[in-house]
Amino acid sequence: MTRFVERHPAWALIVIIVIAVALWLIFAVWPQGLEDAIGRKRVFLNALFNGITLGGLYFLVASGFTLIFGLMRNVNLAHGSLYLFGGYVGYAISASTGSWVLSFIVAFILTALVGVLLQVLVFRRMEGQDLRQTMVTIGLSIVFADLMLWACGGDFYQIQTPNWLIGPVELPLVTAVKSSGEPVYLRYPLVRLVIFAASVVIGVAMWLALNRTRIGMIIRAGVDDRDILAATGVRIQLVFVGVFALGAGLAGIAGVVGGTFQSLSPGEDIRFLLASLVVVIVGGMGSIPGAALGALIIGLAEQLGSVYIPTYAIVVTFLIMVLVLAIRPQGLLARR
Amino acid sequence: MSLAHDARVTVRPTAAVQRSKLRGWPEIDNPAAWTVAAILLIMPLIANGFFLIEIFATTLILGIMALSLMFLAGYGGMVSLMQLTIAGFSAYMVAVFGVSGNANISLGWPWWLAVPMALALATIFGTLGGALAVRTEGIYTIMITLAIGAAFYYFTNQNWAIFNGHTGINTVATPHFWGVNWRADIPFYYIVLAVAALCYFAVDYISRAPFGLALQGVRDNPRRMAALGFNVNAHRVAAYAFASFVAALAGVLQVWNYRQISPGSVSVGACIDILIIAVVGGITRPVGPFIGALIFVLLRTFALDFLVKLGLDGNRFRLLIGLGFLAIVFWSSDGVIGLWQSWRHRQRFGAASSSGRRGQESGRESAQGSSHG
Amino acid sequence: MDSVAQRLSVVGAGAALELRGVTRLFGALAALTDVTITVRPGERRAVLGSNGAGKTTLFNCITGDFPPSSGTIRFFGEDVTHFPPYERIRRGLRRTYQISALFPGLTVQDNVYLACRGVSRGRFSFLRPGQNDALMHAAENLVQAVHLTGVKDRHVAELAHGQQRQLEIALALAGAPRFVLFDEPAAGLSPTERAELIEILTSLPAHIGYIIIEHDMDVALRVVESVTMMHNGRIFKEGRPQEIQSDPEVQELYLGGGHE
Repeated sequence: MTRFVERHPAWALIVIIVIAVALWLIFAVWPQGLEDAIGRKRVFLNALFNGITLGGLYFLVASGFTLIFGLMRNVNLAHGSLYLFGGYVGYAISASTGSWVLSFIVAFILTALVGVLLQVLVFRRMEGQDLRQTMVTIGLSIVFADLMLWACGGDFYQIQTPNWLIGPVELPLVTAVKSSGEPVYLRYPLVRLVIFAASVVIGVAMWLALNRTRIGMIIRAGVDDRDILAATGVRIQLVFVGVFALGAGLAGIAGVVGGTFQSLSPGEDIRFLLASLVVVIVGGMGSIPGAALGALIIGLAEQLGSVYIPTYAIVVTFLIMVLVLAIRPQGLLARR
Repeated sequence: MSLAHDARVTVRPTAAVQRSKLRGWPEIDNPAAWTVAAILLIMPLIANGFFLIEIFATTLILGIMALSLMFLAGYGGMVSLMQLTIAGFSAYMVAVFGVSGNANISLGWPWWLAVPMALALATIFGTLGGALAVRTEGIYTIMITLAIGAAFYYFTNQNWAIFNGHTGINTVATPHFWGVNWRADIPFYYIVLAVAALCYFAVDYISRAPFGLALQGVRDNPRRMAALGFNVNAHRVAAYAFASFVAALAGVLQVWNYRQISPGSVSVGACIDILIIAVVGGITRPVGPFIGALIFVLLRTFALDFLVKLGLDGNRFRLLIGLGFLAIVFWSSDGVIGLWQSWRHRQRFGAASSSGRRGQESGRESAQGSSHG
Repeated sequence: MDSVAQRLSVVGAGAALELRGVTRLFGALAALTDVTITVRPGERRAVLGSNGAGKTTLFNCITGDFPPSSGTIRFFGEDVTHFPPYERIRRGLRRTYQISALFPGLTVQDNVYLACRGVSRGRFSFLRPGQNDALMHAAENLVQAVHLTGVKDRHVAELAHGQQRQLEIALALAGAPRFVLFDEPAAGLSPTERAELIEILTSLPAHIGYIIIEHDMDVALRVVESVTMMHNGRIFKEGRPQEIQSDPEVQELYLGGGHE
């Protein structure tokens, strides 16, 4: 951190100013002039929270994508299919048993199993041929998409939010002050907050696992230099299978989250594949903190964009990607 | 001069065959190619309007798009998923600048102004996208170009001012001059055939010109190309510019073919279809994309009847395409041309000499691998 | 751009290659530390040293494959420190690679043709070379010079190792080289091929200087007039071949550790 400030004082200053403005916008009671100019504070806070929680969802999807890419150089373009598959499995479980938590567990296990099968049966045979692997993932995504369309049809599904999470919760953030002087607090859906907290926990756990455990060290070393893996005498195939299972499983969990937040339908696979691509390009390929930062930026850009410049929301996301590619083509937090 | 001449005489026969194959036009001494050309020329006598447009013109248009990808991927080692997006952009521009049913959007220019404008803008669009993609190497290209393609798709869906949102632009006017309706089946078929032939021969010709050779050098070993005095990234961007122009031509033909353009035509799935066409046909030779396009169009048109006849669900066309694509990727490094060639080779030479060929192929494959590493 | 007189004065005034305080870091690891070398135009020099002494990194800094972390590099008087590789090549610098860096999907002739094209105009030409194309002839002459005429229409992937090494040299001699960096050109060659290599090197026009990295002292000392010893990324000794060979410190170093 201090090194970053020393090296790029101008950037550091910009970042500090942006953070300061954002904090002021969040905590201050907005003056009338500002509300006239850009709308109610409640709208802004809602968009902000939606953006952050959407960022949490994007992180769940993109972290698996980036982990698989970083370790195996496999651009898994079927990652969106795994997301949608996890969502459908979650829907089926929650609809039949009524248990939201169980749907997460089953979705994780089943998508992880698909990931294991893919790695063992397909990708292992074409190690090092990254273009061919990518082609295969494209073929798989088409096959999966059609199979899921076959099985589930073109309907929209939404996973039932459990009772204990339904309803808004009041947050200690003032959105406005009534004429009587009584402050109005922000009310926000509890389920989104819980899910966001869960994705933060998962992210931190992954970061800790990668940085504090032996297997994590091995994986990180493998991301940096694949030859090291062979030299350490680790059973490299086992590590690959494990990472693929974890990455796929995370996509499955994300599918359940997405099915609760939003809805599941054909085409969502492509949407979340694109989100993962952009998040990973922005954050830096193969980097977990990069995926977190990228997911936050893209989630915020999408939600704030759709509130304040509705017709050009997608352009904002895209411009961010262009800007990053132009200034720092390896991504914001990539090591190389 | 004499030195070069003598050297050529001393070359061993196998090498000489290879040379004429590579240097000149391979088609000139190939009766099969002449037959195909003749059939294509007299096609309107053989085929009815449905086959002429829905099968052959559509094949050629998709083939041109896939050809632009083949040029980038086969010669440049850059697998771009945005070639359809460039074509779609060009199609939109024809509709926006030209005449269409959406008078509030279309500017009403005559086609001979709208088309050059569309070609120029689409080429610039593709070149800028390429300039972005070449900032990273190898496999990242796929991700960036796919992101560009997807972004364009969502943008056309959201934007009403220029792209008319998800309904798109309809009843686009097609050219009428010299008393001919050029969108009538037969004239249109010949226009498409002429453009396709032009693109095909242009790509084939350039592959042996300094620009094309240098591009293949960039594919095989970019670092060495820099050490030979080439500006590698400038070369890559120039390749994108050329390929974008080819794709833009296809886009103009496409919007004339369907007379409308909407986000559905530039969806991510359609972008990937172009990759499938090129890979299934084979991405090492310009003829591959056209073969791939023919297979794709035939499947798309007849899969329903075919599947129903087998007692299966007729809607599983995508499944068939996906499985076929997987099979090709698994068993051939060079699409159906590669399968055909190895089959013919086995027929002709038997198993004894096949090992040499395999060695050559694996060498090429490792070269491609290194360019993406 | 410059007039001939200006160019000549520059050449007359200075060195072909002048490195001042060149340092190259990889992360915290210094592959080169404060290297200062001056090579006259036409001078032929060997760089010796054990593995990891920084010899190839030195080449990479000179060509710009990896730019130096600090220090300056002048090529015939011009500061090229921040030039991209291709700009240096266009000014007459050439190099070969320790592990052959060729274009396996192209023929031998096309490989050499590309090398000729890279240092001349028309790199982006859309027109195929005709029968009387000057560069095509230049390429054929080069192919002949490295004894590869018999295989010139073969794909490089099909060539034997020795032939690939010869092609590697041909690529570096295209156009009008003024200074060449040879990175272990003799690696993996048979005795006959070594003799051919020595012949190619000694028959180069006198104005072309070069630096050669070579482990084989027999080859190195027959084709150079000066030697630079490197050790741990630093210049260890410079001098005439005989001085270096008989230097006790060098002998100590070679016998003590890094000898191969």
